[in-house]
Amino acid sequence: MTHGPGTSPLPATPGTARVTGPSAEAPAGQVERAAGQVRERIASQFGRSLHIRTLDTGSCAVCEQEIRLLAAPHYDLHRLGFFFTPAPRHADLLMVTGPMIRAFGVAARKTYDAMPGPKIVIATGACALGGVYPSDAFVHGSVGEILPVDVWIPGCPPSPLALLQGLLVAVDRLAEKVAGLTFTADTAAGEVAG
Amino acid sequence: MPLWFIRGLRRGVVTTHYPARPDPSAAHLPTPPAFRPERLDRALADRLCGVCPSRALRREDDVLIFDVGACTACGRCQETAPEAVIRSGEFELAATDRAHLVKRIPLLREARP
Repeated sequence: MTHGPGTSPLPATPGTARVTGPSAEAPAGQVERAAGQVRERIASQFGRSLHIRTLDTGSCAVCEQEIRLLAAPHYDLHRLGFFFTPAPRHADLLMVTGPMIRAFGVAARKTYDAMPGPKIVIATGACALGGVYPSDAFVHGSVGEILPVDVWIPGCPPSPLALLQGLLVAVDRLAEKVAGLTFTADTAAGEVAG
Repeated sequence: MPLWFIRGLRRGVVTTHYPARPDPSAAHLPTPPAFRPERLDRALADRLCGVCPSRALRREDDVLIFDVGACTACGRCQETAPEAVIRSGEFELAATDRAHLVKRIPLLREARP
């Protein structure tokens, strides 16, 4: 989770008021515990009402088509408490697609700065994750070059189900699954299928 | 609709979980490949790296490095070596750390005949 400097709308309560700026000599365990508390509070606030702003930084628009499908009755994003908003100033979450073309770097940064904190950034699709376009004179190559990304959603394009799972991972309502996957098929299953 | 209303009043929860039941369309989604390490040697790994259009595959000595984040699920590696590469069926791939998406597939030490 990322905090804008001094823009947190979280009410100050004893014990959590100073957690965003731990002193350098604080023990590592204490910092981790404090970070966990902040995560929990953000998740509890974002968990069932979250406003999303999408940002296209040079994608082919197929990721946008999939994002639009989220609002269709079949996937029905709103049942989960997510909503799209037209302005970054009203958004809690920035969903970024595309390889971050260089001409858009400043605009992307301004969009991020305009959002109130705490805020979440999701990089959506293989371009945004640095897969398709290498960094060159025209593109930064990855959204992570410009913005602090909290959740990465692979796919070309990611299906609406994958996007939903990514959103729920971002607000801590689902656990991340991919870290435990090896993408190897075990021998026994391979022999049967082969 | 009245049922939902009453349920919402009673439980104080107006949103639902994901997914309520398995989605029938999930079986047809394009998904990144899964590899069979016991059938992958260096030569085949190099061929797979060659056909990958999105730099998702590269080889470091005896390890095939598969960047799931860069994969576009185009299926070219699967077409090149159907005996060693299959469909993974995984599409719920959101990661909180970019490094979680980079997978290391061990290769055979000696070449396959």
